[in-house]
Amino acid sequence: MIRPMNLLLTVVLSTSALQAQITFDRLLNADKEPQNWLTYSGTYKSWRYSALDQINRDNVRNLKVAWVHQMVTNHRIEATPIVVDGVMYVSEPPSNVFALDAATGRPYWHYKRSLPSGVNVCCDAINRGVAVLGDRVYLGTVDAHLVALSAKTGDVVWDVPVADYTKGYSLTGAPLIVKDMVITGVAGGEYGVRGFLDAYDAKTGKRRWRFNTVPGPGEKGHETWPSSGPNANSWQQGGGPTWVTGSYDPELNYIIWGVGNPSPDWNADVRPGDNLYTDSAIALDADTGQLKWHFQFVPHDSNDWDAVQVPMLVDSDWHGQPRKLIYWAHRGGFYYVLDRKTGEFLLGKPFAKQTWAQGLDDKGRPERLPNSTPTEQGAVIWPGVQGATNWYSPSYNPLTGNFYLTVWENKGFYLKGEPAYTPGNRYVGSVPDIDMEDDPGYGAIRALNPKNGEKVWEYKTQTKPWSGVMTTAGHVLFGSSGGWLSRGKEMMEAYFFALDTDSGKELWRINLGGTMASNPISYMANGKQMVTMAAGSAIFTFSLP
Amino acid sequence: MKALPLLLLFAAAPLNAQSGAALANPRDTPADREAGARIFHTHCAPCHGIKGTGGTGPDLTSGRFFHGSTDADLYRNISEGIPNTAMPDVFFNGAQVWQIVAYVRSLSQQASTAPVKGDAAHGAQLMKEKGCIGCHLVRGEGGSQGPDLSVIGSQRAPDYLRESLIDPNAHVAPEYRVARITTDDHASYAGFLLNQDTYIVQILDFKKGLQSVSRSAIKDFVVDTNSHMPSYRDRATGAELDDIVSYLSSLRREKGTTE
Repeated sequence: MIRPMNLLLTVVLSTSALQAQITFDRLLNADKEPQNWLTYSGTYKSWRYSALDQINRDNVRNLKVAWVHQMVTNHRIEATPIVVDGVMYVSEPPSNVFALDAATGRPYWHYKRSLPSGVNVCCDAINRGVAVLGDRVYLGTVDAHLVALSAKTGDVVWDVPVADYTKGYSLTGAPLIVKDMVITGVAGGEYGVRGFLDAYDAKTGKRRWRFNTVPGPGEKGHETWPSSGPNANSWQQGGGPTWVTGSYDPELNYIIWGVGNPSPDWNADVRPGDNLYTDSAIALDADTGQLKWHFQFVPHDSNDWDAVQVPMLVDSDWHGQPRKLIYWAHRGGFYYVLDRKTGEFLLGKPFAKQTWAQGLDDKGRPERLPNSTPTEQGAVIWPGVQGATNWYSPSYNPLTGNFYLTVWENKGFYLKGEPAYTPGNRYVGSVPDIDMEDDPGYGAIRALNPKNGEKVWEYKTQTKPWSGVMTTAGHVLFGSSGGWLSRGKEMMEAYFFALDTDSGKELWRINLGGTMASNPISYMANGKQMVTMAAGSAIFTFSLP
Repeated sequence: MKALPLLLLFAAAPLNAQSGAALANPRDTPADREAGARIFHTHCAPCHGIKGTGGTGPDLTSGRFFHGSTDADLYRNISEGIPNTAMPDVFFNGAQVWQIVAYVRSLSQQASTAPVKGDAAHGAQLMKEKGCIGCHLVRGEGGSQGPDLSVIGSQRAPDYLRESLIDPNAHVAPEYRVARITTDDHASYAGFLLNQDTYIVQILDFKKGLQSVSRSAIKDFVVDTNSHMPSYRDRATGAELDDIVSYLSSLRREKGTTE
């Protein structure tokens, strides 16, 4: 196998020792320095692909623990670490940050945020990571602030409120740097927030723009919400959170981002209409925040099938023509291909069992089946409320041309209940049940052919995984089967494993013994390729001996 | 919303008042109980069962609540959750919480119409004579081939206990299902199925104790969804069953202990 990357690495590594600051230009060219992991999904295309191949399918069986960093937290680690020139920046939930020596795991500094009481986050007070630009580290906090820290000391440079945490807003997603701006989404879809995506001046913390994911009166899309009668104000608590980091296309200058569920989740009676832009992919002009296009996966959702997936940007041939594409496996169980310039629907195909749509029409709008929404008696629907996949990252590997993702084959029991809104309290309408005793389903890592959505291979897991996947130039996929929910006395499994990207064959595994609910990354330290994954309350890093 | 200041007063009072028993539920009409039932059905039932008889969460029909039995205790536990348990915190406004309290109370009012009869001391004796202690653990004494009954009176209502004695298959918790495994090298296992993962099946084998069996070596693997406890329908008289139920109902948690 020819590995031109080794030569490139030698060149790049010799310069990285200078600890140059992260510039927007370096972020634009993050694929050219695979010794680092510069942004949430690796690059702006969000492939979660590492061009490193020191660890490969022939030697990955020799992988050993290089270091472990234990955090002091009772909250789940969902963070993707950022690695810049030998330093790893990783958040500690709820809203703290560590700077670690990426070679040894020894901490350089620790930012610990004092949080007010009364912070409500639907599904644990967590954080999915930081962003880095210049000599600053950017963090969203569960009390809904955006904070800039000194990358050298962890000292606070600025700290601005983004929203009111007492109304159920929180920041859990990793910010995305675009130009000289910090882009951040917001969480709170179970608290009746009105979602948005914000851009802040990276130097000052001053807000540049806000895009409301639930349009107000006079804004386009508001007609998809009730405007009169008893539910005329439902849009104000309409949800549409944006808690998973999106992607950026520098040629189009579009920020492409996924929008979450409408509120209340499981009772849609108070919000007749399509409820734009919930459960949608949105493309915004990066300089103004103006909407360029949208594609809604689930109009009028009542199953909590957020579109909080990472948009995968791929330039490829489409029916004989080069085209700017987006690959998107949505929580509701369909895999989509969209045109990146226009949002045009090009392909949609189920990648897991689903019983809610007859199919998709020629615009990609689902043709809903009867009995596919929650009822007062309860309705059994595939997929379950955690979806056929969820927020954890997929991967695209340019060597195989495959799209890789974590899949749940499972059903749910959807009840419809009382959706009374009170500020800061849950506004959901019920609590659906999953992991049904008569048919708990299973998890899987799957490779799809992104051109037609057909399954290439599958690796089944007993425990349904809560973590994403990364693939590498060494033809290795890293993923895990670690869950966090327990049913009765059952202990979930917690394996971190390596699969062959071409065949799905298992190459290596280790029991890390704790919840895995984040995404793997890879980088170089002291000439060795490292692979990092969080499990339990620790960060584990592996390398060859 | 004129009622709000009053409700807030009620909401705050239980937090300070240990003598909360005197505090009456302000929302306890049949309509309130019905409203509480609707919320319970969608938000509480996934853990506590559609009828409140328990699932992954405790049975709420016995009228015994380990974390406090007064209305004030129930209000606090529903609105704030219970630390270090799976019970989550506030979902609802004060009026709704009181409606849930009213409904939860009504569950145990139905249960308490049938007082526990029988001689508990004789029941304890019968537990030994009839072989129960051979399989079940009761406060340090007994076996490991059935659920620990040390605090079963706090967990299950008398009717449920009687039903389990007569028809052990009526409710079999997943962790008490018996797995039978044969491997390619002719080893065999029989015991409670503990955990399964992608590669390993763990069981508490009745003879060999804790065992992990590699999936790749398994030839046959069946799980019996029936209980392996015999029915006591013909193994005990009605009076003896009353005595055993009476004894089991007396096995309750002490205040200040945990499960």
